[in-house]
Amino acid sequence: MEGKIIVISSGKGGVGKTTATASIGAALAMDGKKVAVVDMDIGLRNLDVVLGLENRIVFNIVDVARGKCKLQQAAIKARRLENLFLIPASQSDNKDALTPDDMIRISKELRKSFDFILMDCPAGIERGFENAVAAAEEALVICTPEVSSIRDADRVIGLLFSKQIPPKLVINRIIPSMVERGDMLSYQDVVDVLSIDLVGLVEVDDNVVVATNSGTPLVLQKDSKAGQAFKRIAMRLNGQPDLPIEVPGATKSFWKRIGSKIGFGK
Amino acid sequence: MLNSLINKLFNKTTSKDTAKKRLQFALVYDRLEVSDDILKDMQKEIVDVISRYFVIDQEQLKLDITRDDDLSALMFNTPIISAKPRQRMA
Repeated sequence: MEGKIIVISSGKGGVGKTTATASIGAALAMDGKKVAVVDMDIGLRNLDVVLGLENRIVFNIVDVARGKCKLQQAAIKARRLENLFLIPASQSDNKDALTPDDMIRISKELRKSFDFILMDCPAGIERGFENAVAAAEEALVICTPEVSSIRDADRVIGLLFSKQIPPKLVINRIIPSMVERGDMLSYQDVVDVLSIDLVGLVEVDDNVVVATNSGTPLVLQKDSKAGQAFKRIAMRLNGQPDLPIEVPGATKSFWKRIGSKIGFGK
Repeated sequence: MLNSLINKLFNKTTSKDTAKKRLQFALVYDRLEVSDDILKDMQKEIVDVISRYFVIDQEQLKLDITRDDDLSALMFNTPIISAKPRQRMA
């Protein structure tokens, strides 16, 4: 097995990196791929609670780096998904507990046992970022349609390019009614400003909070718009790069809906 | 749809237009924030290239990035002492 390492980054905090990592990881696992999601936010771990695995942590990635345990011992199997594994962060150390060299070493082993390895990058562009991108071949940059998030995304995109890691863009938390009113940047505006390839558009969705409350993967909820959007992003990463990107809010008008019900048009 | 049409008809600027403009300027500025080391390296390379064709006064050259409202420019000022005699291409 020769797995692919994708880092999920954003620069700014709180734009949905961890949710994206958990959701895309779960979706890839549902497609039958063996997936590891790695929490790189040493000292401020959260991927474990989002996945509902906070009570099962015995070893973490810092233990693996220090040789206190094997990689397999630190990997926790997700509750409802056969192929999804979490490598948790340590909560008691800080970002200096790992070095980019540690990560390159650990990643060699990860590649052997998983098809996809998703690195949940911490906010910021310091040591934690350096560690998370050290072994990555590809990157997803998550941003929301807000000035501060886009500016930080631009900085991270620049850094990723300088490290020869091609980034792809995910725009998260789009509020279609605000875009319509002209009070939120449209996805075209964001792509215009950042000028990198788009890989997905995710609408704001209450289900994200609900899923996090219970620690169940968002993609298991069939009626979650965000969950379905993340599922399609996973498909694009997994051999279907040309799957069309659906624009949130571009729902059919009343008459078109009636039309498609009785068999006219699409 | 209707909203955006009305805005266009009355030529109103929406808050997202303001956001986009501000962002584009901010990013131009951000991207131009180059560290001194990079500037020094670049200056050295520019001097190397120019010195192939001209004799320049290296003491007095100046490299600067200037920013105006709608324009950013890299200014490289150097007094030229003389042109270098060029060797004919074989």
